[in-house]
Amino acid sequence: MSGSPATAALASPAPQVSPWTLVRVFGRSLFLQASWNPQGMQNLGLAYALFPALKDLYPDPERQMAAVRRHLAFFNTQPYMAAAILGGVIFHEGRIARGEEGSEQVVAFKSALMGPLAALGDGFFWLSLRPALGAFCAALVPLLGAWAAVLFLVLYNVVHLTLRARLFRMGLRLGDRLVEQVAHANLPGWGARLRTVGAACAGAAVAYLAISLGSNQGGRVGEALAVGYLALGAAGYWLTSKRFGNYALLYLAAALAVAAGAFL
Amino acid sequence: MVDWSQVALAGVWGGLLALERRAFLQAMFSRPLVAATSMGLLLGDLDSGLYVGLLLEMFHLGAANLGAALPENDTIAATGCSAAAASCALSPGAGGTGTPAIWALAIIMFGWLGALGRKVDRWLEPYNTRLARKATARAEHGELRRAVRQNLWGMWPHFVIYAALVGGCSAVGYLVGPAVSKLPLQLVRGLAWAYPAMGCVAAAIAARGSHARRSAGWAAGTAAVVVLAFVAMAILRKGGA
Repeated sequence: MSGSPATAALASPAPQVSPWTLVRVFGRSLFLQASWNPQGMQNLGLAYALFPALKDLYPDPERQMAAVRRHLAFFNTQPYMAAAILGGVIFHEGRIARGEEGSEQVVAFKSALMGPLAALGDGFFWLSLRPALGAFCAALVPLLGAWAAVLFLVLYNVVHLTLRARLFRMGLRLGDRLVEQVAHANLPGWGARLRTVGAACAGAAVAYLAISLGSNQGGRVGEALAVGYLALGAAGYWLTSKRFGNYALLYLAAALAVAAGAFL
Repeated sequence: MVDWSQVALAGVWGGLLALERRAFLQAMFSRPLVAATSMGLLLGDLDSGLYVGLLLEMFHLGAANLGAALPENDTIAATGCSAAAASCALSPGAGGTGTPAIWALAIIMFGWLGALGRKVDRWLEPYNTRLARKATARAEHGELRRAVRQNLWGMWPHFVIYAALVGGCSAVGYLVGPAVSKLPLQLVRGLAWAYPAMGCVAAAIAARGSHARRSAGWAAGTAAVVVLAFVAMAILRKGGA
């Protein structure tokens, strides 16, 4: 190190991160999990994303090296929510570069936020928004055809990209205070509603597949098939709740249908 | 006759989608519904991609990548099955368009790739750990740019392995296609019945995997509404006739 943070701040003008660098950091954050590993998890991705900002903030190679090294430590959170932490890290690194706080602050910031934000993001994106929109758009396939897949992408990414960009800006502007703003968004409440949508759409899909494709056969056989498929769906739900393996269930259903088709 | 340019196209697109799933962006192009539909579109049989994707989207709906836990790789299942189904439908003598029998056959043949994909993902982790160690060592020596660039090297094994797997599925689809048209009629009918059977089970797994409170009630309620709608339409149609 080339002296204390305060000395470094006096020796040179206050370092700034340019808007273009912020765009680059955001773009590079999309590669956060490119080398996910069980030891450091997203550590390398985080250092890769932050590097342009650290270069702007620390023209001195020694301080730059120290900054990169502190972000090669263990890091793991939900990849979209990481945008908030990235913004907050740049906020703190700016303060460290100006000599307004010590480097332990940014380490504490990351450690304090990565767990809670991971829980929030996993619950909202992975366990609510994605299943709900997946089931909703899959249930719309009979009506929209391939446009259902396009609709899924549009709906999901309107939420995903908007939230990701907003979280990044929040982190940059508010630092630690972003926690209050994230709490105001009430993601768990929205998540619970979305999960209900997912279950309802899946039920509709069972009935559509059973009746529409079953009745394709026509006549009595078609009616019997539709009823059989509905029963299979109900049995499938019950067996899954009894921890019957999903693959075993899928292949069992296929075997029953093939046997029925071959011998009836 | 295998169309190797189609096989290569399927492989490249499958490899790219494997990267999108975890390494880059995660804008859900790699979800089964989107991945399989885009694969079908690229290979020239949209319906095969769409219906294979619909079923696998439901089947993998509840899977999530939480912390260090690895879920089944839904993307390789979707890209592999849809590439096989589209190639099978387009192979000489197979009719040129996908049928429920072909979709079911593709899912039976390659649906398990999701479980294999999880093993491959786990198998590749030590390579990424080595990259992280290399990055730390380079940072110690002041080679910062090269240190952080190690991040991007984590992507190529995923691309290569999954591209090869999807290309392989496509090639198998081409080889199996002519044989499907020679199957006994009862077996083809059984396979055609297997698609909705697997679809119903997959949708039931989706309802269960939605993590909703009272998921059984919601799923049963909407299923009842759809059944009543079909019954009402049938009655109206009979009355009109």
